[in-house]
Amino acid sequence: MKKFLSDPILGVIILLLLVGGVASFTVDVFFTLQNFTNFLSGSYFVMLLAMGMTVVLISGGIDLSIGAVMALCAGIVAKLALQGMSVPLVIVCALAVGAFVGCLNGLLVTVVGLPDFIATLAMSAFATGILFIWTKGTPIVGYMDETYKQIGGLAPIYRGVTVPMVTAIVIAFALGAMLKKTKFGVHLFSVGSNRLATRQSGINVTKIRILAYVISGVCAALSGIIMAGRNTTVPPDLGGGYEVLAIAAALIGGASLMGGRGRILGAILGEVVLAMTINIINLLGVPSSYQKIFIGGILLLAVLVNQFVISLRTKILMRSTNKKS
Amino acid sequence: MKSTIKTKTLVLAVIASLVTLTMTGSAANAIGTLKQDALTGTSATVDTAATDAAIRKLVNGRTIKLGFAPPILSEAYTIAQQGAWNQMKDYETRYGVKWVWTEEAPLNNAHSGVETTGFIQNYVAKKYDAVFVCSAAPATVMQQLYKQGSAKGVEFYQFNSTEQLNQKSQATDATAGLSSVSNISYDNRWQSGALAAQYIADELKGKGEIIMILGPAGSDWTKLREQGFRAVVKKYPGLKIVGAADGGYVRDKGLTAAADLLTKYPKINAIYGENEDMALGASAAIDAARLKHWDGKSGIITIGADGLVSGMDEIRKGNLTATVNVGYADMGRTMIRTMFAHKVLGMDVAKFIRVPTVIVDKTNVDIFQSQIKAELATKVKY
Repeated sequence: MKKFLSDPILGVIILLLLVGGVASFTVDVFFTLQNFTNFLSGSYFVMLLAMGMTVVLISGGIDLSIGAVMALCAGIVAKLALQGMSVPLVIVCALAVGAFVGCLNGLLVTVVGLPDFIATLAMSAFATGILFIWTKGTPIVGYMDETYKQIGGLAPIYRGVTVPMVTAIVIAFALGAMLKKTKFGVHLFSVGSNRLATRQSGINVTKIRILAYVISGVCAALSGIIMAGRNTTVPPDLGGGYEVLAIAAALIGGASLMGGRGRILGAILGEVVLAMTINIINLLGVPSSYQKIFIGGILLLAVLVNQFVISLRTKILMRSTNKKS
Repeated sequence: MKSTIKTKTLVLAVIASLVTLTMTGSAANAIGTLKQDALTGTSATVDTAATDAAIRKLVNGRTIKLGFAPPILSEAYTIAQQGAWNQMKDYETRYGVKWVWTEEAPLNNAHSGVETTGFIQNYVAKKYDAVFVCSAAPATVMQQLYKQGSAKGVEFYQFNSTEQLNQKSQATDATAGLSSVSNISYDNRWQSGALAAQYIADELKGKGEIIMILGPAGSDWTKLREQGFRAVVKKYPGLKIVGAADGGYVRDKGLTAAADLLTKYPKINAIYGENEDMALGASAAIDAARLKHWDGKSGIITIGADGLVSGMDEIRKGNLTATVNVGYADMGRTMIRTMFAHKVLGMDVAKFIRVPTVIVDKTNVDIFQSQIKAELATKVKY
């Protein structure tokens, strides 16, 4: 029980139950398989971004370039596919670019010493600029075929199972296991909680932080590969605003901007809460002008619920300590 | 001396004939009719050699510096720019005008318009001759900038704008309270939203359920197109708008919004996507829900608005039923013709120039797609 209460995921579970509960009373088609499939299929690529963001947030950084990197990688997929390159090679190229940009972010932050916010913001502008120059401001079209439809989740690989769904699940398990079961995961939390102490204990902080950005870049690339298939075209302004959604999902999921806290499952559930909120707004016919207010409200509620959970946990821990003493 | 007088007389005669022609249409269209057929590029009936020579003399090889400030870089504005470049090339060949063209567009958030105000100030500082602007910034802010720029000799032309939302009447004020020389656009209400609704009404014979995928809340384009769409739907008691959602003018959000609404209203007859990207997202949502696209008798009609090559490809495939082609290439050409008529020939041009719009579906996609492709194929660049 104590372990559950100290888990940062508790807040988002409470929020999910709250939002789902409200929806079940107000929207008749909310609890249908079709509806869940709909809003989940539109959120896998944001989940991937949020998972990468969570890793960076745990390390005490922030990655504002993921939206632009996602768009750049989607552009690479579309352009190379148009040139007839095989699908596996296209995917490898996009992943390599994502990892490279992530590595650059990491080097700018650690070796050059730029603040995370500035370095990744600059990288975002850089990646967006490259895509605009490359595409001459015109969307890349005409690359779609059945394979890319499957990659984008527009066609299932088996019944209701889609590539984005499988990708999100595989990455979630991989990152979750990495954070919990590996030395790197422990070091990541340590770097985020107290960088100086971690460095003094002989851990290579620079390497850990660079790797966190590489993971984020790869997640953004995966998201871009899926997005190219889902969107069926790659406009140069594709990635605008997705980094904010990813940060919101990670924070709702219990990650902290101060570092040292966060969970992969939390990021996934955080994105589910956001997608569910937009789904409910659409189903209720709420004017779009209210959409931002709702999302802002959900974010605020998430923070309040998290704070409530933390204070509850502290009280319980104090009581048990008092009893023991 | 004599030749100068002759030239002046000739130029005046040309101007007089152009002015006469403006009685039946805008100055820009008049020039188009006399010397430039929109589709072929030359007039088959009028010998323009003397006029061309006179204008060439008037131009005297001068360089005109033009600024182009779209709200964002996109396929639509690329087509408009190419149309403008093609018209510039025509004038360069015919009249010996030299051009400098600078494009400045925001990389993010087309609907804030903040960056565009900075571009305008740059153009004024660099003493450009004319600037073509399409911005989502508040009309009062933009008009103030135009006023300040005009005082320094820079002419402003709005394109693809929503000035119908803010314009005052020309009944007592020829400028309609605007500081831009001319506003080259289409009426978003009656030449876009209303046309889409009328198409749906005609296809469904006035009876059916519709969902709307709208642009971002607060956008002037959204407000106006929705106004025109609803006005026509209201005329048909059998037509009903059952749901609406925000698609943010992008395909992915259009897909999500349409998928959500299709869960609640699987038996709808039509989807109106306020632009082509959102309509194509809605089309993908129809596929994902395993519903049927419109085949002329049954299924779901999906209609958008823009008139892009990519959209017209989807019309051919049957994934998009129709679109409102708002004539971006024509808009680009008209921008240059209007500016040239005013700045070079000294003509008074219409304050509001409406480019024609048209519904494009499978029956006429060949005409309009080939026209846009031809404009884009010229490789002319400035």
